[in-house]
Amino acid sequence: MANQELLPGQKRFSIGAAAADVGLVFWFIFSLFPIAWMLLLALKNDQQQTTTYFQFSPTWSNFATVVSDKGTQMTSVDFKASLITSLINCGGAVIVSLVIGIPAAYAAGRWRYRGSEDLMFQMLSFRFAPELMVIVPLFVIYNQIGLFDTKVGMIWVLQLVTMPLVVWILRSYFQDLPEDLEQAALLDGYTRKRAFLMVALPIVRPGIAAAALLAFIFAWNNYVFPLILADTNAGTVTVAITKFLGGGGQAYYNLTAAAAIIAALPPLILALTIQRYLVRGLSFGAVKA
Amino acid sequence: MATVTIADLRKTFGKTKAVDGISVDIANGEFFVILGPSGAGKTTTLKSVAGLVDVDGGTVTIGGNDVTRVEPYHRNVAMAFESYALYPQKTVSDNLASPLKSGRTGKYTESQRTERIDQVTTTLGINHLLKRFPRELSNGQRQRVALGRVLVRPADIYLLDEPLSHLDAKLRAAMRAELKQLGAMSNTTTLYVTHDYQEALALGDRIAVMREGRLVQIGTPEEIWRRPADTFVARALGQPEINLLDGVVDDGRIRLGNGSFDLPVPAGVRCDRADRVRVGLRPCDIHVADQASAAVRGRVVLAERLGRNVELTVDVAGAQLIVLASGREGAGEGAHVGLAVADSDIHLFAAGEGDTVRLNADDSLEVAQ
Repeated sequence: MANQELLPGQKRFSIGAAAADVGLVFWFIFSLFPIAWMLLLALKNDQQQTTTYFQFSPTWSNFATVVSDKGTQMTSVDFKASLITSLINCGGAVIVSLVIGIPAAYAAGRWRYRGSEDLMFQMLSFRFAPELMVIVPLFVIYNQIGLFDTKVGMIWVLQLVTMPLVVWILRSYFQDLPEDLEQAALLDGYTRKRAFLMVALPIVRPGIAAAALLAFIFAWNNYVFPLILADTNAGTVTVAITKFLGGGGQAYYNLTAAAAIIAALPPLILALTIQRYLVRGLSFGAVKA
Repeated sequence: MATVTIADLRKTFGKTKAVDGISVDIANGEFFVILGPSGAGKTTTLKSVAGLVDVDGGTVTIGGNDVTRVEPYHRNVAMAFESYALYPQKTVSDNLASPLKSGRTGKYTESQRTERIDQVTTTLGINHLLKRFPRELSNGQRQRVALGRVLVRPADIYLLDEPLSHLDAKLRAAMRAELKQLGAMSNTTTLYVTHDYQEALALGDRIAVMREGRLVQIGTPEEIWRRPADTFVARALGQPEINLLDGVVDDGRIRLGNGSFDLPVPAGVRCDRADRVRVGLRPCDIHVADQASAAVRGRVVLAERLGRNVELTVDVAGAQLIVLASGREGAGEGAHVGLAVADSDIHLFAAGEGDTVRLNADDSLEVAQ
């Protein structure tokens, strides 16, 4: 049997490969379990949320409750409004990061000057310290200059999260871009600005899409900044979700799970929308002429 | 159309001196070739003329105007890049239209643009590629498009950076001939960078040989070939490479290879008895001769047929000489042959380590003719 000739493309059975497959399946279940558990939880009613595991009578009502006036009364936060606020805050932060970050990344990728590496490292170092370390002084400052619980204030603080990401990702894209392309444009008679807009920018579009999506997700999932620096006016969906945990009163895990699922939809939809660019963004290098 | 003057140009990248003080005057309409191995600073020189490199020192003058600190888009030069540098997101047609749309190379209406592009693509034989993207082209086609982008607009100077280097040998020879026949090329001052000596000899009105950021020799192809300034230039031109043999002057002759054979000292060379010298013999200048009458005799160690010619490695008293013989002479491996060299084909260089300077008098070219 072992010496039997194999057909083309046929592989001999191997214990190692089978074990690897089994291992992968376990890993798959392990890593997806929290999401599956959240889905199950979101379908349970109030009585069964803490008393059942996999056998319960499923209901869709939790999703309706979260976005209804009843939900607003329970948490004293309008979940729908917080969704909109999140979109404005995160969209604003991403736009600010792109408008400032793309030229910054281009400059950082193209020119080396005294301290250029230090500057890039400095930007990345914002991400080293835990947010909690700076949150108290930030809170004091925001209160004093009137940015507490404003969308402008939230956009400002969230771009601290998104800007380093955008600059660092796009810098490597611009570095990979052959300089000859912009130089050709200069000799075609275009200014440096137009060479950048006409040649460099369209080519790194997939990279911009990838960076923008990652930045959006990071901003969307941020919890500490909106928790401390915002309240009802600029409070984001991440904070709104936790209100269903009751804050000392009755905890609604089922509603929390349903709210979390709703909150996960916008980044998911965004990712699917720009999927075409994302794939190209991740396989960059094939673009080179 | 314009003259180009480069004066004491310097550019350093980190600790590397890419261009180390080169000066050259290029005449109006001249086809000027810069020849050198990779890393010699050829591209940096070209990009300095284009304004794409911030030079550390020296000046670049185009048509009498100092343009050293002038932005590239104000210089009115066109350049073909070694990497082609075609815009990947634009079609061939849009690539070619790009210089015409910038507004700095003249104003064109839609129909004037189409006409110009049509003219260029017909000349280069790429009419059928207009709707394609650069990624859908072969290297030869990309190269033509890159050249087309240069030719499509009027420019004072054409800068061509190894435009043929990525082509296969046959296509390269064909394109070389085409380049030479292009009318625009013969009317416009052109700087052409290459590491291929055949391209340089075939195309150039003048050639500058470059090494480690410096110009070693500037001259017509004839001068560069017949009177290489030093062993570097001599070795840079010709395939197979020139034979270099160390010898000692003795009584008007140069003793070579254990002193068992000798060659005459070329006319006009001043050297004394017992001077150490280096003799350069181009493989194509050595002829297989009748064994009895030849002054130099040797045994063929290796015979490689290269189509029309046969490359012979001949052992002459311990020295190995490469000889390019015509295929008909039919000297096989192991055969004993006589070798003959015309006195005017003997290149004499100073002895020593590394590359050494030429000793032949400057009038030897006229003597040779």
